[in-house]
Amino acid sequence: MRYALYLGCTIQSEQYGYEASVRETLPRLGIEFEDMEGVSCCGSPALNSVSRLGWHYLSARNLAIAENMGLPVLPLCNGCHLSFVETKHFLEKDPELKNVINMNLEKEGLNYRGDVRIVHLLEALHDEVGAQKISEKVVKPLGGIKLASHPGCHAIRPSGLQNVDDAEDPKKLDDLIRALGAETFNYPEKTDCCGSQLAVTSGRVTLKIAGEKLQAVKSYGFDGLVTTCPFCFKMYDGRQRAIKGALKDASLDLPVFYYTQLLGLAMGLGPKKLGLDLNMSPIDSVLERILEE
Amino acid sequence: MDSNINEVEVRFISRMLSRLVGEMNATVCEQCGKCSSTCPVSKEIEGFNPRRLIAKVSLGKINGLLRDDAIWTCTTCLKCQERCPEDISPYDVILILRNLAYRAGYSYPTGYDDFIRAVKECGFISMPKAIRTRDRGKVSRGDLGLPEVSGPTDMAKFTVVVEGIIEAGKQS
Repeated sequence: MRYALYLGCTIQSEQYGYEASVRETLPRLGIEFEDMEGVSCCGSPALNSVSRLGWHYLSARNLAIAENMGLPVLPLCNGCHLSFVETKHFLEKDPELKNVINMNLEKEGLNYRGDVRIVHLLEALHDEVGAQKISEKVVKPLGGIKLASHPGCHAIRPSGLQNVDDAEDPKKLDDLIRALGAETFNYPEKTDCCGSQLAVTSGRVTLKIAGEKLQAVKSYGFDGLVTTCPFCFKMYDGRQRAIKGALKDASLDLPVFYYTQLLGLAMGLGPKKLGLDLNMSPIDSVLERILEE
Repeated sequence: MDSNINEVEVRFISRMLSRLVGEMNATVCEQCGKCSSTCPVSKEIEGFNPRRLIAKVSLGKINGLLRDDAIWTCTTCLKCQERCPEDISPYDVILILRNLAYRAGYSYPTGYDDFIRAVKECGFISMPKAIRTRDRGKVSRGDLGLPEVSGPTDMAKFTVVVEGIIEAGKQS
């Protein structure tokens, strides 16, 4: 398994804990990747609301680079993943649009054929490596820790375009969490949105939407929340302090992790290598429990 | 301004809208309200209601919608599309309405101007920066051993092409 690794704006400019933990863990599972040269933003959410052509141009541009590398593309961000999937779909349905995009790509010496495979990290981990093989790599099981699975909207919807997991009953991240020896169970808000895309318009409502999910997750007795989306992580982890303030809920403390950070810990890697000093949510007590075992 | 791209864009957006409207005329959408009941924004923001939005679009009443700030509050969670029993996608309709509103010169969140400026300048909406650690230190990509970020090879050319595509269809 070899992929063209697409980081996207948010991860490469600030979500270093995700990137570092991906780079540390994936090769140990036999997933190889090459960094992509010359890439740009995927166009979402920057352009899809204001310039559909510009959005599809940027996505097709990155896909064309992956096609040149002869590799399936592995976008680490849910937003970039859906952006690529949608662009591939719309260009397939509309040859005139594809022509216009290619006329412009030509000016940059690129060409988009449309046969690139787009793979989500959950698919690479769950469908290609598999929970069984991951559990065999675990040397430090996360026993007794209850983790809420949050796959994120753009990984699971719309089911008409992508089938990363079941849109109404996603289970792959749960399987991957259990493979590390941790516990997880279904909860009603599992497929609910983190609200981060509303930040452009209303910061207050964004914090309320995110906060109510965090409160729910905490009320079910989870020790933490796990995701693979940088937007969701940024919301629940980086903005947790702001959420507490907005909801006037001083008790709202919930550790938030990238799946690959926990995967690394379970494989016996040190917290620093996995960027765990970059999580802003109160992860220390859970981290200590994991390291003690 | 490249009129060729302009025409293509206008044609493209109109085609998408008419396709959607065609697929969701009044006899198709039964106004069951599954979209609104699953929408995380509807329960927070008065005036944002995908069911009513679809009703207006299917009656051809999009002028008011284009001027309504509410279209900019969708979180793009896609639950409306997923739950619709008739395969209508309020999400896609909202993105198209936003495109039209922007093209028509109506109000839109200024954050999009920042996005566009950054993409044209460096290829991304943000560039790598030193970030805070939990114990109030600061680290950069280099400190963590992460490789340098690669952007468009010929930045000048990238900017011209992207600018042409984004600006061509915009009315000022």
